[in-house]
Amino acid sequence: MFHFLKLIMRSLLKRSNLFKANSIKKDWFDSFVKGSLGLCALISIITTFSIIFILGKETLLFFEQVPIGDFLFGTKWEPLLEPQSFGVLPLISGTFLIVIGSSLVAIPAGLLTSIYLGEYAGPRTKAIVKPILEILAGIPTVVYGYFALTVITPMLKMIFPSIEVFNALSGSIVVGIMILPMISSLCDDAMSSLPRSLKEGGYAMGATSFEVVWSILVPTALPRIVAAFILAISRAIGETMAVVMAAGATPKMTMNFLESIQTMTSYIVQVSLGDTPAGGVEYQTCFAVGAVLFVMTLVMNIIGRKFYKRFNLEIE
Amino acid sequence: MSLRRRRLTEKCFKIATALITWSSIAILGVLVFQILKEGMQWVDWQFITSLPSRKAEKAGIYTAIWGSFYLMITTMLFALPTGIGAAIFLEEYGGKSRLSRFIDVNVANLAGVPSIVYGLLGLAVFVNLFGFGRSVISGGLTLGLLVLPVIIITTRGAIRSVPKSIPQAAYALGAKKWQVIFFHTLPYALPGILTGVILSVSRAIGETAPLIIVGAAAYVAFVPESLLDEFTALPIQIFNWTSRPQEVFHSLSAGGIIILLSVMLTMNSVAIFFRHKTQRSRNG
Amino acid sequence: MVDSIDSNDGIFRTQNLNLYYGENRAVKDVSISFKKKEVTAIIGPSGCGKSTLLRTLNRMNDFIDIFSTKGEIFFQGEDIYRSSQDVADLRKRVGMVFQRPNPFLKSIYKNIVWGPQIHGTKKDLDELVESSLRKAGLWDEVKDRLNDLATNLSGGQQQRLCIARTIAMKPEVILMDEPCSALDPRSTARIEDLIGELRKDYTIVIVTHNMQQAARISDKTAFFYEGELVEFGDTKSLFTKPKEKRTEDYITGRFG
Repeated sequence: MFHFLKLIMRSLLKRSNLFKANSIKKDWFDSFVKGSLGLCALISIITTFSIIFILGKETLLFFEQVPIGDFLFGTKWEPLLEPQSFGVLPLISGTFLIVIGSSLVAIPAGLLTSIYLGEYAGPRTKAIVKPILEILAGIPTVVYGYFALTVITPMLKMIFPSIEVFNALSGSIVVGIMILPMISSLCDDAMSSLPRSLKEGGYAMGATSFEVVWSILVPTALPRIVAAFILAISRAIGETMAVVMAAGATPKMTMNFLESIQTMTSYIVQVSLGDTPAGGVEYQTCFAVGAVLFVMTLVMNIIGRKFYKRFNLEIE
Repeated sequence: MSLRRRRLTEKCFKIATALITWSSIAILGVLVFQILKEGMQWVDWQFITSLPSRKAEKAGIYTAIWGSFYLMITTMLFALPTGIGAAIFLEEYGGKSRLSRFIDVNVANLAGVPSIVYGLLGLAVFVNLFGFGRSVISGGLTLGLLVLPVIIITTRGAIRSVPKSIPQAAYALGAKKWQVIFFHTLPYALPGILTGVILSVSRAIGETAPLIIVGAAAYVAFVPESLLDEFTALPIQIFNWTSRPQEVFHSLSAGGIIILLSVMLTMNSVAIFFRHKTQRSRNG
Repeated sequence: MVDSIDSNDGIFRTQNLNLYYGENRAVKDVSISFKKKEVTAIIGPSGCGKSTLLRTLNRMNDFIDIFSTKGEIFFQGEDIYRSSQDVADLRKRVGMVFQRPNPFLKSIYKNIVWGPQIHGTKKDLDELVESSLRKAGLWDEVKDRLNDLATNLSGGQQQRLCIARTIAMKPEVILMDEPCSALDPRSTARIEDLIGELRKDYTIVIVTHNMQQAARISDKTAFFYEGELVEFGDTKSLFTKPKEKRTEDYITGRFG
């Protein structure tokens, strides 16, 4: 028996020697692994720079033909018709109309949903509601577009007989439904990550849930709630298919939700659906509009994350 | 305020929050009902195996299904190794260096870029610069870039949730860093990584706008045979049918939606099953 | 087991009280009475049910889904678990100070007035803030910066602010759940002095795992062990001449 153990020990020792002899080679391999993984990580940076470079390049080419002032401050967008005019404001106004409408739907509803989940719903209700909200968040936007066109718009038609087939209201509602789960889950995270003792402190003073929510939880979690709103709005700005399908393709500056409008995203889709050759001014308009879109969403995301971090500072 | 009024406010508020919450669930109900009511009549074997057609009763989603399938293969062949590799780098090698912090912020920003901007990137780089044209590979790579941040973020989360004791035990046995990562950390994180991957596929398969930008065709009469062939995809087909004025095509697109949502639902259930199973086995 | 208590004399009185977390009985058949304007300390090793009992007195355990009670708890002669009991009103009359200071992310001033305001006090708030802070021994330290965030105060100051916040509601009873466990010895001493001041006006029930603290500040002491009330009586006699073997073992440091 003892002999047997000795044998095993010896072979183990041999193995470890073998291992040591290889160790220089392994170190080389270790840095090879590190290098290739680093390359993977670099791809994300390359992506960002490519986006900036390509949007920048095509936009500059575009500005060689269209003065930057005409683009940024022009109030008429008719790049596909003669005589062409390239004022981006109608597209921005269309986008804002959708943003305002969808925020009016999703911000109060999302916040109230998160409050319901955090304060009132029992564990069983939560187990039903949360997955359903996740499903709502995961449904592709083209499906929401179909829903807007075949359900929401006909219903709106019953309330507002004068409404156009494609209209900003239907688009706003459907985009609101799409960003609602994001708002409710971020707000829920924001409030449930507060120390439990804060809530208890409020209840121990004889406050009702309503009072605890509005004068303790919401104000304390406010930076993060605002971050949720900003991030959701940034998503609404970039939302494409639902708006293409529901809100139409009529670039105009209007505040009337019952009319057809065009957003920045739906303009890009409209051009892409036609057969535009690379290099033409129509092709470049897509990138110029895309650049505006990119800058807007990027700025909002950065601001959103700033708010989020400030929150972490305040709660130690 | 009197106690009675406070109680009343409380009650009204509670009812309001409940109403709002349940109405979003009702919306999901209406959506599902509408889709089933309109689309169920079309969903059969013929629908799945027929080419698109101008006549509604003959139309099917054969090319769209195969298009989506090849797209997802391309997307994942690119995004899976890259995303997981990047995540390992950031978690295990990055440390707190300036570069890794920069990549970190960069990934977070990329995750917030609208999908249509990825479409523009794909159009300029893959379609025109690389000369891939309006092909499966252009679409697949574009979607790959799109889901990359999602894969990186979820994989990092999965790696981070590996208990410290596991790599430490391996190091204590004299293992090299790469051995620790590939033989101990990654296998433990695998269920979490898989969940993230499945979720990213289910996001990619529903993406429409970037594919339109890189030029998915509305009508494709054959299944792509090479990566450089033109293609259509399920969401493109749905969009196409919904945009037609005739009601009958709307109901066809509901049929397409049923297929698309079933695929996504299946994937999500698999992901949830995975998560559940590993949680159970790890909690003993 | 429990020495002579006149069952009608206590401001709080429990009768064969059992508290459960699901199947698990955390407090077993406890009958105890807390007298007006006395400091009662509840001591015992961790997990003996002392905090559970305390948090039942103002129904803070309502937030735990699996929590349930059997038996009765009377506050001023009325069962606090009866269906007509308004919980908000109960908690206004029975204030609570927690283990860790938990000031709201508001100014010092607003922390104090928040409670009275939700309960409908609109007038003389400045006087209320001053008098509450004075009683809590914090006034001189913060009178010049009432509008600063309360979270910027030191831990000990925060805890005294939480006491001031509770006093401002003019409660009848103050429950304290190991109020010094997160504090340094100096802050602890200040809180103990403060409790000595407050005993003139308030009924105080304090949970502590620090026996010396219980001996220093309380009139009565209750010793809990594994959910049972082992011994209850005058603090002095409980610490000097414990009647029960388990009490003696605990206070002499043989376990716990």
